[in-house]
Amino acid sequence: MEPAAIQTYGLTRRFGSLTAVENVTLSVAPGQFFGFLGPNGAGKSTTIKMLTGLLEPTAGAIEILGRRFGAGALDLKRQIGVVPEGMALFGRLTASEYLRFVGRMYGLDRETANQRTEELLEFMQLAGEHKKLVTDFSHGMQKKLALAAAVIHGPKVLFLDEPFEGVDAVAAGMLKTMLLGMLNRGATIFLTTHVLEIVERLCSHVAIISQGRLVANGPIEELHAGVVSTLPDAAKDQRLTLEEIFLAIVGADGGQEPAQELSWLA
Amino acid sequence: MAGVNGAGINGPIEESGPRGGLLGAPARAQYAALASLRWQMLRNSLRSVEGVFELGARAITLFFAFAVLGLGLGALVGFSAYTQVSHEEWVYLPMLFWLVFFLWQVVPVMQASFQEQFDLSSLLRFPVSFGLFFLLYIIFGLADVSTIMGGMCCVGLWLGITVARPALFGWTALAVGGFAAFNILLSRAVLSWIDRWLAQRKTREILAVVFMVAVLSLQLLNPAIYQKRHTGTASIEQQAESRRKRKAEFGPWLKTGYSAQEWFPPGLAAVTLRRFAQQRQITALGSLGVLGMYVLAAGGLLAVRLRAEYRGENLGHAPSRSIAPPRRKEIARSEVEWRLGGSGPITAVIEKELRTLLRTMPLLYALGAPLLLVLVFSGVFFKGAQQGHTSALALPVSLIYAQLGFTQLFYNNLGVEGAGIQVFFLSPTPIRTVLLAKNLFHSLLYGLVLLAAGILATLRLGLPDGAVMAATAAWLLFSLPCNLAAGNLFSLLLPYRVNPGRMIRQRGSRTNALLSLLSQTAVLGVGATVFGLCLFGNRLWLAVPIFLALAGAAAFALACVLRNADGMANRRRDSLIATLVKKE
Repeated sequence: MEPAAIQTYGLTRRFGSLTAVENVTLSVAPGQFFGFLGPNGAGKSTTIKMLTGLLEPTAGAIEILGRRFGAGALDLKRQIGVVPEGMALFGRLTASEYLRFVGRMYGLDRETANQRTEELLEFMQLAGEHKKLVTDFSHGMQKKLALAAAVIHGPKVLFLDEPFEGVDAVAAGMLKTMLLGMLNRGATIFLTTHVLEIVERLCSHVAIISQGRLVANGPIEELHAGVVSTLPDAAKDQRLTLEEIFLAIVGADGGQEPAQELSWLA
Repeated sequence: MAGVNGAGINGPIEESGPRGGLLGAPARAQYAALASLRWQMLRNSLRSVEGVFELGARAITLFFAFAVLGLGLGALVGFSAYTQVSHEEWVYLPMLFWLVFFLWQVVPVMQASFQEQFDLSSLLRFPVSFGLFFLLYIIFGLADVSTIMGGMCCVGLWLGITVARPALFGWTALAVGGFAAFNILLSRAVLSWIDRWLAQRKTREILAVVFMVAVLSLQLLNPAIYQKRHTGTASIEQQAESRRKRKAEFGPWLKTGYSAQEWFPPGLAAVTLRRFAQQRQITALGSLGVLGMYVLAAGGLLAVRLRAEYRGENLGHAPSRSIAPPRRKEIARSEVEWRLGGSGPITAVIEKELRTLLRTMPLLYALGAPLLLVLVFSGVFFKGAQQGHTSALALPVSLIYAQLGFTQLFYNNLGVEGAGIQVFFLSPTPIRTVLLAKNLFHSLLYGLVLLAAGILATLRLGLPDGAVMAATAAWLLFSLPCNLAAGNLFSLLLPYRVNPGRMIRQRGSRTNALLSLLSQTAVLGVGATVFGLCLFGNRLWLAVPIFLALAGAAAFALACVLRNADGMANRRRDSLIATLVKKE
């Protein structure tokens, strides 16, 4: 049996007295487009940082492609690509200089790095900006560049933290095409985003984290069925959107204590 | 459409300040909220060990700046004013005011690079009146090192003149007060305009070059003047004749200059006092009035800038436009400027470092300025060289100075990475490889810069003694791995983000600065002790094997630091990333 692309066991991270992620156990099969959802501050970015070696777990274990993963697992790092929260760009390089640099840091030889850089810049429609420094790029252009850097070495597992934030509709469509292409070639994609329509369209499986704990995990259809089963009979036939499923699981208050009504607000 | 073009839409925007003006209850509440915000920010910064260290280092720096520089300068200026006024030497008093003026206006630009500034434009989303915004901008400026130093000098002037001539007590307070107000407003206006010009990267870089050239030109004035003074061995009569000639040549210019300076605020303040002392009340009041007009003009200059900021002037970058992508050949042609050979991560990091260095003005300046200052230092030894006895320390002192330019590169070698630091943790390249590549690149630069400095010093002073050269070279071999080892440790443990486009207002780490200074002093101390002992025993050649043995130990220490770099970096990766990625 093929091992899971991503597997965590009791993943926990504490910051002093605050437990940001608690006992998260999940499994992502190879070739899956996996959506990792949660309200703000639920622990999504902390989890993705632990999964990519940017943050050490307080407890628990991570396996990537069936092998134990940690900051020192350099061979495994060659198999994964990441668009982290801060995008990890070097502002004083041009886009092509940056991509070539990242390619070589991932062990690509110079020729391959150069060739892929040119292809990626054209695909991402950044080729026209070859003289501009990254620091002068717009937010959307920086996102595209970060994504290009995450895939330049052809990773088998891709972690994307809010890749569509600040990206226009045209670029978002292009990114989706590229991601689906990777998926068709057998890559596994782990995605966090607040844009639930994208998750609904792209992902086959989702996990939902709230207040550091995993509250739902499975195929979207399964989550749908679970939520519908809690509805009154009259409402059981309706087709729920992912947003409705998400709100039903996390609660409209995002798992927090319900706020009092602001009577003074006009 | 009528509505859009109607008077209602096109009418003036109604501006209203808080009820009760700048001292009304709403304004007072805003002052209290701001004071509380500053206090909370300070208190919260103490939650981490780094924050406590930072506060300690800041306190030491401020104590030095205020107590030593402020009080010392204040006392010196006060005593000079007392001496001049008590001896009725009014003609020299303007020089003191000019000195204070230059101190007040030049220091802010220089020290702003080390001082964290509170961005008041963040207050504009609140209902803050323009008057309050203007007032707060001035109040926040009162805590600047230059203002405190200038203020203390003004107090010194006031005390010195009052003690010498008690009758001038009130008039001195007025004239010196007006002079201080002018300086406060002008320095804030200058900084606000500099901020305006530095808001965009391109203008920032152009101004950085101008700033660098200006500073270097000032520094090069010294050897030029020094050389003119000390060349030649003229007799006393020849020197007296030369002085007479210079006086005849420059006398009329000095007279014109002196009369002209009386129309500028430092001169006006001094002239006002002289006229009051000479009982010429009307003309004295006239000069005081002109000084008052200067204060208003400086306030106006500041108000113009702040008004634009208050109205929401956007200084950000122009949005980038999509342009037709060039063909591949075109891209390739424009980028084949230079590339280093080799495919491995070490070459990749070195290539990136070189590109970043060439585009990072503060680092280039830090490397270049000491090199040029070697010329200044060699000027100090120049006279001795002409008389045939160059100091044995001339070469090592010049090289030590040139080495100072590497402080930031060595001791904060991850500072310019910013968000890019994450690439090092995400990629399969170990951090020790990254540090090793950086160390190799910095060693190469170190060699080149020191070689250039050595050549400059040698050209000016002649070839030093062979033993001195060998001992200096051996000391450099010891100093380099020491600084690299300590630098790698500091870069991992006490990093701070360097904004590559900024010459001023960098958010440095005082702790890193102080400790790196201590570390460099220790390396220098070891060098000076060995050098001194060997020189004293007349066996300078003995310093060579001692330094080489020490260099071996330092290289071993560097290897140990590199071997443990991955562990250290991984243990600290969270705070390292947070420090370097955080937005300004």
